[in-house]
Amino acid sequence: MLITQESASYQDAVPPGGQPPWLARHRAAGMARFAAEGYPKRSQEAWRFTDLRPLTASVFPPAPPDPVAVDAATVAPHRLPCPSHRLVLVNGRFAPALSDIGVLPEGVWLGSVTDALRERPDLVAASLAEGEASLAALNAALFADGFVLAVEAGVTLEAPVEVIHYADMGAPAAAHVRNRMVVGAGGRATVIETSTGVGAGWLNTVTVVTVATGGALRHVQLQRDAAEAIHTSVVRGDLAGDARYESFSLMAGGRLSRRDIQVNLGGPGASVALNGAYLLRGSQEATFAPVVTHAAPHCRTDEVVKGVMQDRAHGVFLGTVRVHPGADGTDARQLNRNLLLSPTAWVDTKPELEILADDVKCSHGATVGSLDEASLFYLQARGIDPATARLMLVEAFAADVIDGAGLDEPIRDHVHGHLRSWLDGLEGGR
Amino acid sequence: MSDLAMTERADAPPDTLDGLIKGTGDGYKYGFVTDIEADEAPPGLDEGTVRFISAKKGEPAWLLEWRLKAFHRWQRMAPPDWAKLNIAPIDYQASTYYSAPKANSGPKSLDEVDPELLKTYEKLGIPLGERAALAGVAVDAVFDSVSVATTYKDKLADLGIIFCSFGEAVREHPDLVRRYLGSVVPQGDNFFAALNSAVFSDGSFVYVPPGVRCPMELSTYFRINAAKSGQFERTLLIADKGAYVSYLEGCTAPQRDENQLHAAVVELVALEDAEIKYATVQNWYPGDENGKGGIYNFVTKRGACRGDRAKISWAQVETGSAITWKYPSCLLEGDGSVGAFYSVAITNNLQQADTGTKMIHIGRDTSSTIISKGISAGRGQNTYRGQVKVMPRAEGARNYTQCDSLLIGKKCGAHTVPYIEVRHPSAKVEHEATTSKISEDQMFYCQQRGLTQEDALSLIVNGFCKEVLKELPMEFAVEAQKLLAVSLEGSVG
Repeated sequence: MLITQESASYQDAVPPGGQPPWLARHRAAGMARFAAEGYPKRSQEAWRFTDLRPLTASVFPPAPPDPVAVDAATVAPHRLPCPSHRLVLVNGRFAPALSDIGVLPEGVWLGSVTDALRERPDLVAASLAEGEASLAALNAALFADGFVLAVEAGVTLEAPVEVIHYADMGAPAAAHVRNRMVVGAGGRATVIETSTGVGAGWLNTVTVVTVATGGALRHVQLQRDAAEAIHTSVVRGDLAGDARYESFSLMAGGRLSRRDIQVNLGGPGASVALNGAYLLRGSQEATFAPVVTHAAPHCRTDEVVKGVMQDRAHGVFLGTVRVHPGADGTDARQLNRNLLLSPTAWVDTKPELEILADDVKCSHGATVGSLDEASLFYLQARGIDPATARLMLVEAFAADVIDGAGLDEPIRDHVHGHLRSWLDGLEGGR
Repeated sequence: MSDLAMTERADAPPDTLDGLIKGTGDGYKYGFVTDIEADEAPPGLDEGTVRFISAKKGEPAWLLEWRLKAFHRWQRMAPPDWAKLNIAPIDYQASTYYSAPKANSGPKSLDEVDPELLKTYEKLGIPLGERAALAGVAVDAVFDSVSVATTYKDKLADLGIIFCSFGEAVREHPDLVRRYLGSVVPQGDNFFAALNSAVFSDGSFVYVPPGVRCPMELSTYFRINAAKSGQFERTLLIADKGAYVSYLEGCTAPQRDENQLHAAVVELVALEDAEIKYATVQNWYPGDENGKGGIYNFVTKRGACRGDRAKISWAQVETGSAITWKYPSCLLEGDGSVGAFYSVAITNNLQQADTGTKMIHIGRDTSSTIISKGISAGRGQNTYRGQVKVMPRAEGARNYTQCDSLLIGKKCGAHTVPYIEVRHPSAKVEHEATTSKISEDQMFYCQQRGLTQEDALSLIVNGFCKEVLKELPMEFAVEAQKLLAVSLEGSVG
């Protein structure tokens, strides 16, 4: 029944200005796929730990195109403390008044999907693929906007690109956002995405990343959505030889969130760093599901993901490293560590290895535990009160993964700020 | 103890061991078929088959009902498809579900046992009579489906230990069987357990009374014999309060061209302060170099630590079978109970194994250890699949898991699928896994010291598995080491 309604909204969602026939085809295929598959089910292995009821229990029609009054002051606290090329999307649509793309160097294209459809439709076309599953298929059918970044070969974009997704949808509604990032051979760029807002909206994003030979993309995603919000996102990355993709994800907002990062190491010497943290409390649930495929020899994966759960929060880590036949010289490390702070907090973790080549070095580890009593005692013996001692240890646990992510100083400080603001909200916070 | 050493001690030619290690080219060593007139059920499976088996075994009505309930469950179930296994569809109507060696009434002594059977045991090296005394092992030998002779029964009986065939237990100790049968693995637990519950033929039953320490290692041999007859063993082992028992299981099977299904169920119950050690060496026919033939080993093994401070330990060396689907598990219900799982699994040629364990922490202060070593060679696929679950009341639960994979060759695969589900903050759960290959340096070093390539491989592999092998009873460990070498024959060079 719900799917029929989604289907009806798809019929309404065709933009007034029309769309190119290839896009209409993709939208139709996406809708057909979603109508056939429906929402992911718990019987599917990849979704067995994720409780999608908050999403499936009500209908989330696409957010209406009418502009929402969001002023610069609302968005300002979420901005980076350094110069950037800034795009703001409100309810999934580009908001020019809040954005400041600034002056771009030669060989860089940055803008909204709507603008790209006019100026660089090739970039948008490359963000759509056949056979997208469930939520990504629905996204293909219904996306209204997004951002596009293209860095040409040999070009370095010095200042970071900053994208703020702001949600204020009033009634339950969905913002389907499709993003595209391309870095040419030897090119370099940094993108910081922040999602935030108010209300019980659903943000459903798909981001398609390509990094050509020797290129490097750093991608930071800070998720601080409203307490009632739902946020699902898929990042699909394809890396050529010696290319590098560094991803850092902070998941600290929303009632239900899920981040799927799928990276294909397609050329020799490609490397990926997937670091992140989920910080959860109340009855939040977050799933972090990175999948790395080593399809070429001498590639490298470094993955460190930490989780802190308090109250009735539920964290899920589903990490997979696949090594294809012939991908010799693979070096992959995967680590997931979890901290449970309350008797009712819980975690499910499944770090999976699938190895079909023999000359590999692969390791993975997972731990679950609570705060170390000896460390707490040590701090208290030095005159620190129990509440502060607890916070210090939680901060140290989470800060570790931020420091290890290799972020530049202003961005690292910005991420630390998010961690501290989350800690302030902890029970017995300062 | 497994059949390998038994053969040695019995009438095996002196070159057996050399033959094992160097490879005689005879193919599977135990590939012979004994020609005995079988009393078979017609192929196919329906309610009539279940009734036939139950009647044939002279079972009480409650057990028939229990079987039928399982059968009806099974009819509504589908085979599991989540394992990383490629299984050709199985025609359950083509199998024979009961085959018994012809016997008028149960044999009262060795003289009454069919000489054909005795010869088979000789070939298998099972020590009956004096040999049993020499080996110090009580053997409840299962030939296809009906137990034929049980040794050492009297000695065990003096201590109050019951060690007999399942069929006998149903006749002699119906209360115990009724109380514990299906209490760890319910009829509808999974597709293969349901099938077993409906058509199980025979198996072993052990009961160790309170405070008794079983003075010897109990051992049972399973042997699949009649062509196309799936083997559906049922083992039920109960250690009452403060009891201790160590149980060994080893397997060989005749060579065949058609896949044979083996769906056993093993249930262990450990009451307060009891300890059960269960060791398996599995060496069934794995199929030939092209993957033709070989046993399907789809087994449900589970132990319940039902009392406080109970301990259950599983140790397994899995080298045989075309396909292995097996997850010996522990339900840690009692406070302070302890579970352990030690495993070596080898896949060579086209063998596939999806094996691991489940540790379900239910009581307070429960702890579990998992050590798994997977070795893949040839085109073998080896998956460790394990679940560690800490329930909301399992305060102070502790788990340590280590699973290592060793790859030999370019065409094999090693997969690790751990599930860690924690519902209590005081739990401490650690999981570590590594994957590596045998390095050329290691091989070169050994060969430079005069070892042959095969000996070097065997040395390195045994070192890799050491942590698990040391958990096996001594005689078992010695044979397991040799078995590792045999299983990896031809995988290098």
